[in-house]
Amino acid sequence: MASDSPIASRKVVVHLRATGDAPILKQAKFKIAGTDRFSKVIDFLCRQLHRETLFVYVNSAFSPSPDELVNDLYDNFGFDGKLVVNYACSMAWG
Amino acid sequence: MASDQATLDGSLSSTDFQNSANAFAQKWNEFNSGFPEWSWIDCSSRLGFHRVTEGYLSLQHVFFPRSIEEEHDEGNSNDHQEPFDTATLVQSNNDSNDGDWYDFHVVYSSSYRVPVLYFHAQTSDGQPLNVGEIEKNLPTKSSDVLMDSKWTFITQQEHPYLNRPWYMLHPCGTSEWMKLLLADHNSTDRYLVSWFTVVGQVFGLKLPLEMLKS
Repeated sequence: MASDSPIASRKVVVHLRATGDAPILKQAKFKIAGTDRFSKVIDFLCRQLHRETLFVYVNSAFSPSPDELVNDLYDNFGFDGKLVVNYACSMAWG
Repeated sequence: MASDQATLDGSLSSTDFQNSANAFAQKWNEFNSGFPEWSWIDCSSRLGFHRVTEGYLSLQHVFFPRSIEEEHDEGNSNDHQEPFDTATLVQSNNDSNDGDWYDFHVVYSSSYRVPVLYFHAQTSDGQPLNVGEIEKNLPTKSSDVLMDSKWTFITQQEHPYLNRPWYMLHPCGTSEWMKLLLADHNSTDRYLVSWFTVVGQVFGLKLPLEMLKS
């Protein structure tokens, strides 16, 4: 997909949105290097919420693989200059 | 429609499962050309004159390299790697010990009203793998979950159609997270695509992003 800014140095605004019974973060938006992996977002959330696992998903449609590049997610599912990432406390397994 | 209502609680009917399974297989085969294909295995005949169509999705012969194991515990793997191997039969292909083969079946569970992933793993020479060996093929994250929730993650169960013991991913949480994934898209067609993004992660299998766009 075409993009105006040079991909290598681009920062992506990630908007973290709590769903279900998940606690809301004080700072819901943050910038992350587009070359970072999605696992960085997951780790950040887990740290902030002091949880080992969270259910993290994008576009209310899928749960990205942790090794997905933030740039790729933004290019495909970014909207309004940001990537909306939802999180819930549900556990996928047990 | 009844089908729309079904997705609101994260579950789906068996008819919707079949439709969604077909949509998923079609998309997968279109975007994942380098990979084995999913195919629908029809089991309707088992029911004789009951004209209920039944079946499951199948993906055969997926190769998992064992490289993860070596990164994990070098010390251990050195222990059971024997320096002299003269007694073993010579394999025609040298890479026979470098990985394992997995078969995946997506079967509808009428009690949970969700798809369930069944899988079977074997070495290149046909030896079935046990949970401990399977764990070595999984990404670190999955083996952590396996440690934490041993009985609610991967369990061995009789395959509903093959009547042989297969491993399965426990479906008790599925409708809970599927409800979240379907919150904005009430289409049962996309159910399996969304579902697979979660279950695939257990094995490090991911879908191409193009496949996820609506």
